[in-house]
Amino acid sequence: MPLLVFLLKRLGWMLLTLWVVYTVSFFLMRSVPGGPFDSEKQIPEPIRRNIEARYRFDRPLIEQYGRHLWDTLHLDFGPSYKLEDYTVNEILAEGFPVSASLGIFALTFALTLGMTAGVVSAVRRQSVFDFSFMALATLGVAVPNFVLASLSVVLFVFVLGWLPAAGWGSLQQIVLPALCLAAPFAGYIARLTRTGMLEVLNQDYIRTAYAKGLSQRRVVLRHALRGAVLPVVSYLGPATAGILTGSLVLERIFFLPGMGSHFIEAALQRDYTLAMGTVLVYTLLLFTMNTLVDLAYCIVDPRVRLEQQA
Amino acid sequence: MPPWIRRVFPYAVLASGLAAVAWAAFFGTLPPADFTFSNGDEVQTVDPAKATGQPENRVLNGLFEGLLTNMPTTDQPDEQRLVPMEPQPAVAESLPEISEDGRVYTFKLRPSARWSENNGLGGRPVTADDFVWSWRRTLHPDTASKYAYQLSTYLENADKYNTGLVEEGDRVEVELADRPDPIQPFPRGTIVRGTLRRIVRPPAPAADPAETLEQRETQWRRRWTYVVEIKPVLPDAGQGGRVETHESPVDWAAEGNLRAFSQDPEQAEQPGAEFGSLGAIQPCVHVLLDFGQVGVRAEDERTLIVTLRNRTPYFNSLAAFYTLFPVHRECVEKYGTPRWTKPENIVSNGPFQLQFRRIRDRIRMVKNPHYWNADQVALNVIDVLAVKSHTTGLSMYLEGQLDWASNVPKLMIPELLPRDDFITAPALITYFYRVNVTRPPLDNVLVRRALNLAIDKRQICERVTKAGERPASSLVPPGMAGYEAALCGQFDIAEARRLLAEAGYPGGRGLPKVEILYNTDDNHRAIAEVIGQMWKEHLGIDVELKNVEWGNYLDRQRELDYSVSRAGWIGDYPDPNTFLDMFVTGGGQNQTGWSHPGYDALIAQAAAEPDPEQRMRQLHEAERILMDELPILPIYYYVSINMVKPYVRGFSANILDTHPLHILRLDGNAASASLPAEAASPSEPASPAEPPSSFVPAVPAETDTP
Repeated sequence: MPLLVFLLKRLGWMLLTLWVVYTVSFFLMRSVPGGPFDSEKQIPEPIRRNIEARYRFDRPLIEQYGRHLWDTLHLDFGPSYKLEDYTVNEILAEGFPVSASLGIFALTFALTLGMTAGVVSAVRRQSVFDFSFMALATLGVAVPNFVLASLSVVLFVFVLGWLPAAGWGSLQQIVLPALCLAAPFAGYIARLTRTGMLEVLNQDYIRTAYAKGLSQRRVVLRHALRGAVLPVVSYLGPATAGILTGSLVLERIFFLPGMGSHFIEAALQRDYTLAMGTVLVYTLLLFTMNTLVDLAYCIVDPRVRLEQQA
Repeated sequence: MPPWIRRVFPYAVLASGLAAVAWAAFFGTLPPADFTFSNGDEVQTVDPAKATGQPENRVLNGLFEGLLTNMPTTDQPDEQRLVPMEPQPAVAESLPEISEDGRVYTFKLRPSARWSENNGLGGRPVTADDFVWSWRRTLHPDTASKYAYQLSTYLENADKYNTGLVEEGDRVEVELADRPDPIQPFPRGTIVRGTLRRIVRPPAPAADPAETLEQRETQWRRRWTYVVEIKPVLPDAGQGGRVETHESPVDWAAEGNLRAFSQDPEQAEQPGAEFGSLGAIQPCVHVLLDFGQVGVRAEDERTLIVTLRNRTPYFNSLAAFYTLFPVHRECVEKYGTPRWTKPENIVSNGPFQLQFRRIRDRIRMVKNPHYWNADQVALNVIDVLAVKSHTTGLSMYLEGQLDWASNVPKLMIPELLPRDDFITAPALITYFYRVNVTRPPLDNVLVRRALNLAIDKRQICERVTKAGERPASSLVPPGMAGYEAALCGQFDIAEARRLLAEAGYPGGRGLPKVEILYNTDDNHRAIAEVIGQMWKEHLGIDVELKNVEWGNYLDRQRELDYSVSRAGWIGDYPDPNTFLDMFVTGGGQNQTGWSHPGYDALIAQAAAEPDPEQRMRQLHEAERILMDELPILPIYYYVSINMVKPYVRGFSANILDTHPLHILRLDGNAASASLPAEAASPSEPASPAEPPSSFVPAVPAETDTP
């Protein structure tokens, strides 16, 4: 029962958030100078009027807002102003899976690399592993992903020749962008895991476990990791958000046809409907991810109750 | 939380994680293309009536074909390593016959030109009616074509049809409000034709502060009542099977019936009693000039007659431009816009057809077996990549993922310049600064001349742009046959200082700060910095750089909210007029506030001048005025930059930066495409001895210069 109440409450908040985001974006976009039909070449006045009439630009702003909101409620984001052969729904449907694949790989890399490095560093404290992993982690957090991307293209594509430079359509092509996207999160997760592990390893129950004669592997993986993973779980929410929105620049550099590239182009070209569609999808995703993480947290940590989370 | 959930949870998370990774790792396989190139950006549309840019140009010339097409006239490059390009027969079997006064063009269509087949549509010949219908579609107000002016400026009466303005006494076509789909302009509702007798305008509505003037005007027009004398339909109409004649021709000489129409009959006013009883006002969608009045008609299936408003020496180039390409009527009417452009629906008539599109990834084109010259088309599968980042494009090219990169990052140019596969050619593009002549002290011509003389353009080309651009002393770039440009003053510091002193600002004293406006771009910034430095150093002027983003930049320029603003212009067709007619008084692209009656008169005279040499002299005189008055400061002429793998044949450098895809061939077999150049075997010349008369646009039309 508390679960249902929790979910319903979250749903209510989500709808409210979406509406606020919608409204703010709508009026912000239209208050920025320039419009979707501007170009260096002037369009004759009557033609411009026809174009504007087709997209309801000739109506008062509040009417545009109302009508577009109505369509949006029916999950119809309208035609794209710039990619004229497509509707926003079609563009999102094509772009989302690309960003999702990239995000899934990046998150997987971030978790496996980060947690492995964190556990090894904590167990072999003050060793060469510890120092080098933590140095790498700091670098990963500190270096912006587009710098990392350029460097890794030079290294893996032109020096070593292992991976293709850019594009979308095969597993090799996803490795570089996913690694670059994952790097800062892997670094952060490594540090979180290491701190968590160190704290847990000093606890009495770990000493007890060792005293029982359990092997180190069993103690670390079975008993210690459980406690150490809690901060990582709570970090997953912001990490997912960061990975989703952090792919904007990488999608451009690695020529990936994902949501991020649509979002940048839409914002720059004043493609209002497409920009709105991507903003709403991002909002929805972030909200869903945060809710899932909160749920997971309750399951993993018995001290946390759903009521508190809601 | 029940304990079992806690126990199952880690496994559930692991399982769903693995499932997600498995899903993400699944990629369909895509057979490789014969030829892959970067197109610079995603194309906005593949509808010829709506497209506006250079990326669209490259794709549309593969998919469609116009009456004429720009083709190299020889394989032999001239001393500048350029190959001349000229409009040559495509769907038309020969160059058009032109009447004595230069206004009537008769095109004979090739009987073998046919449409592609898709989903049971197409496969039939391309007829003159296809062109009439397509041009009408482009001009129709509901199509809202941004490039409709490529037709409406030149075709007789086309601008009237395009803008939807009618006057009493005009022959009009009235479209009744019975369209099958109100949002789709085609297929249209029932059309009746007649002579417009009277427009009854209700009193104009009072000003409402919530509405703009345009909104009020649009609302007001909807309530106008049109009294039209509807003419009887000719008895044998609809026969003969010609597409265009489905819309019954009428007997203009006969007596007709008076009827009243309005877009909004409920709000409209009944016309007065002098017309007798008209009955109820009928709802209509449009009252437009009768298309029969517009200067294009199909004499028969294979003869297209085009009547121009004025003599237009460059009309052949326009006939090769994509806005004038035909589209397949049945396809457009069946699926509507934009659904007809989907790969599963589209019917086209070019050397290639659309196989699939992935947004901001690629467009795949495959050879069109119905193309009249399909035997000569060597490439079977072409991938057009929407690579936006020049750096990424260059990486992909160097790594072998691309056969042709249509641009490179500026910073890499000095390093790439010595390479054999790095091809630059002068382009019909000028980089210049607009000067706002309404803003003191720039309203003083002496100040403008001083500013021009103080710019060392050679240094900009050698130190900043570096790709072989040439310093500009005129608006019209070199390369226009028969035209000699009028030049402005060259770099001369002493003279610049003297002029500035003469203007009343000796040593720059008393001169207000000058602001240089540019849109976000490294190249624009670098140039603005250098020019600002030169003005400061040589003239003692305080210069401020103003960097704004694209939309803002366009707004400010349009509203004359700047002092000096960066600009670029790509010639629409290889004729000086495309540059010079920008600066007539009140012209849409003028945007400097400059106005000169002598200049306007010369441009108008040149438009009507029958003698080509005299016409060029008039244009030269006009440019003379422009270069004396300097509402613009020319900086440099662009070069086009391409990198093409050595095994690609048929790719020629030319001033139009137009590269017909259907004459490209690859040395050796397709496998050699990925081998380094040395491995490719020498082969026959690029284009067949007799160039197939087809394709490619004359006209690079993108103005949003990088």
